[in-house]
Amino acid sequence: MVAVGTMVWLSSELMFFAALFAFYFTLRGNLPELWTERTADLDVPYAAANTLILVISSVWCQLGVWQAERGVPARPAGTSLFRVREWGMREWYVVTYVFGATFVAGQVYEYANLISEGVTLSSDSYGSIFYLATGFHGLHVTGGLLAFLLIIGRTFTTRRYTHAQATGAVVTSYYWHFVDVVWIALFATIYLLQ
Amino acid sequence: MRAMERIGILVGVFGFTVAAIYWAWTHSTVLGTEWVGVVGLILAGLLGFMIAWYLWMTRRKLDRDPSDDPLGDIDEIQGDYGFFSPHSWQPLFLGASAAVIFLGLAVGWWLVFIGVFIGGPALVAWTFEYWKGPKAL
Repeated sequence: MVAVGTMVWLSSELMFFAALFAFYFTLRGNLPELWTERTADLDVPYAAANTLILVISSVWCQLGVWQAERGVPARPAGTSLFRVREWGMREWYVVTYVFGATFVAGQVYEYANLISEGVTLSSDSYGSIFYLATGFHGLHVTGGLLAFLLIIGRTFTTRRYTHAQATGAVVTSYYWHFVDVVWIALFATIYLLQ
Repeated sequence: MRAMERIGILVGVFGFTVAAIYWAWTHSTVLGTEWVGVVGLILAGLLGFMIAWYLWMTRRKLDRDPSDDPLGDIDEIQGDYGFFSPHSWQPLFLGASAAVIFLGLAVGWWLVFIGVFIGGPALVAWTFEYWKGPKAL
């Protein structure tokens, strides 16, 4: 029930991003010269590297989900951290968190660079939609990172790792994969299509 | 569950079809393509397909769903539907802190911080409410 409900909610979140995409394409259709001028300032290789970090974090997340479904919340007590084969959901989710946080840091650094070049939220229409779309996405990623912390924390408070716990891990992964797919669409639209 | 899946497919097909018609129609006007409609309809179609796809994936993993059987009995569908919280104060605190945070966006950053400091503990309390102690889920 929780999983189905999460999926339905995510499809509504898709509509939220639909509005931002519609915003982007409308402005782009009406202001072609502004677009040509502003898209020249974008650092596509940097954004591609950041995208790769987020996509890889989804891989770690899925590995964590498979461990959660097998009922393995964490590596057995006393096992070395380097025995990756014995990692449980907790270890994989921590790695996912680190990669996700790196992505956010990368976004912040990119924002700082663009602002120093004069592209701000209020500089012009391009700035508006760039920061709104990528910013709302970044906020979603940050919310997802918070969810990871809570789900990891929940594995420490109970004695048994139940199906209910695994469901929590699974729906967090749904959210994370969704955020990843939305970013791929945003990256393709803003940086590749331009 | 198959009924929901088919409704999802219907919504998806409708969205994509109307998006195509809308694109073709506005593309040929003086003002050019109307992107809000085209993008909105395509993504509304994706919304439908997303739900249908997920329900299809779920259906493959589970046993036959009695609600899909037109000759099924009502009592075949009884069973454990999962955990539903009987009562809790946490949603009130969460909602109140969310209200304070968003009000703070209009009033001033100080109110946002107050909201976050109420909301943080409320979020943790809500998440861990049924996951601690001897009667944990």
